[in-house]
Amino acid sequence: MLQKTPVLQAQNRDKTGTRYCDRLRSKGQLPAVVYGHKQAPVSIVLNFKEAVSHFNKGEKIFRLGIDGAKDKDGGQVVLLKDLQFDHLGTNIVHADFARVDLNERIRTRVSIHLIGEAKGLKTAGAILMHPTNEVVVECVVTELPEFIELNIADLDVDQQISAAQLKLPGANMKMITDPHAILAQIVIQQEIVVGEATAAATGAAEPEVLTAKKPDGDAAAAAPGAKGAAAPAAKGAAPAKGAAAPAAGAKPAAGAPKK
Amino acid sequence: MALMPKRVKYRKEQRRVRPRKATKGNYVAYGDYGLQSLDGAWLPGNVIEAGRVAAQHFLKREGKLFIRVFPDKPISKKPLETRMGTGKAEVEYWAARIKPGTVLFEIAGVPEATAKLAFVRVAMKMPVKTRFVGRRVRV
Repeated sequence: MLQKTPVLQAQNRDKTGTRYCDRLRSKGQLPAVVYGHKQAPVSIVLNFKEAVSHFNKGEKIFRLGIDGAKDKDGGQVVLLKDLQFDHLGTNIVHADFARVDLNERIRTRVSIHLIGEAKGLKTAGAILMHPTNEVVVECVVTELPEFIELNIADLDVDQQISAAQLKLPGANMKMITDPHAILAQIVIQQEIVVGEATAAATGAAEPEVLTAKKPDGDAAAAAPGAKGAAAPAAKGAAPAKGAAAPAAGAKPAAGAPKK
Repeated sequence: MALMPKRVKYRKEQRRVRPRKATKGNYVAYGDYGLQSLDGAWLPGNVIEAGRVAAQHFLKREGKLFIRVFPDKPISKKPLETRMGTGKAEVEYWAARIKPGTVLFEIAGVPEATAKLAFVRVAMKMPVKTRFVGRRVRV
């Protein structure tokens, strides 16, 4: 794993701030920061194209070749910790790296690649859902995979594969994600009519207003609300017993005017 | 029937200034592909419903459609030929606040080409410029 670790060439960045970072981005560079291991954070700048091509492949462990630093064994090993995007999510605008040791256990997200074609997908209306696309694992830096493959060829309708069933590639690797998290499942799609369902549930064209003044006395009896209608009916039917069985008391009250 | 909240704290709301950029709800979270707004707008509930119908008619029973926005803002409007004043008008419709970058719809369980064709039809219904997006690189 570590022999393949890519080297990112970086320069120290002494001027920080939005304006300077924007200037660097316009020159085709990517501002970044390196922190961790109780050392002072260092602001650096990377080549945008080179860095993003590695990020898109899913690589997370790098060796930083910082100009002017003493590189005893090929540079500082760092873990990609965070990426910042612009508001449209098109471009990466900043990267965070954490210093790590080769024998250090780290926690990071690893993406799941589904392989094979599930046999359940041949059923009409069946769709493959994968609510969790990545799992959090704890492992030694040298064991960290770029992705974990999950074979879904045997997955049938109404079956699912949870995180507990995932085979981790490393022996010392530990799953941190909830073992009940669903990685892949095949469900039969049901047609849900959202608009009609909402209207039926509310039963009205206007929503209920929580801070609205409640009508009192006789006005409440005329009000169409379920709570307002039930309470006065119960009062009229059994004034002495009060709160006893309002639903049962409502019946004679409703029937009384008819007689 | 257009989408609207079941219960609200107040009947009417002030218009307020539309914030510039979407800082949340701006990436594909549930599905595989999404339709992202490039403009800001108040998206009425009936427009969201029209988008949903357009997508589901195209997809038939394939895939799963996620609606990422909900119309929770009451928009009031005075009737025509009414003099100004005499209080705030009645609520005309409910709208979702859309900022540039907001993901409106997502689709899961279909190939990219199918999702693109479905979102082309949805985009025709939207009063904002939109674009097709996939999942973002995550760390």
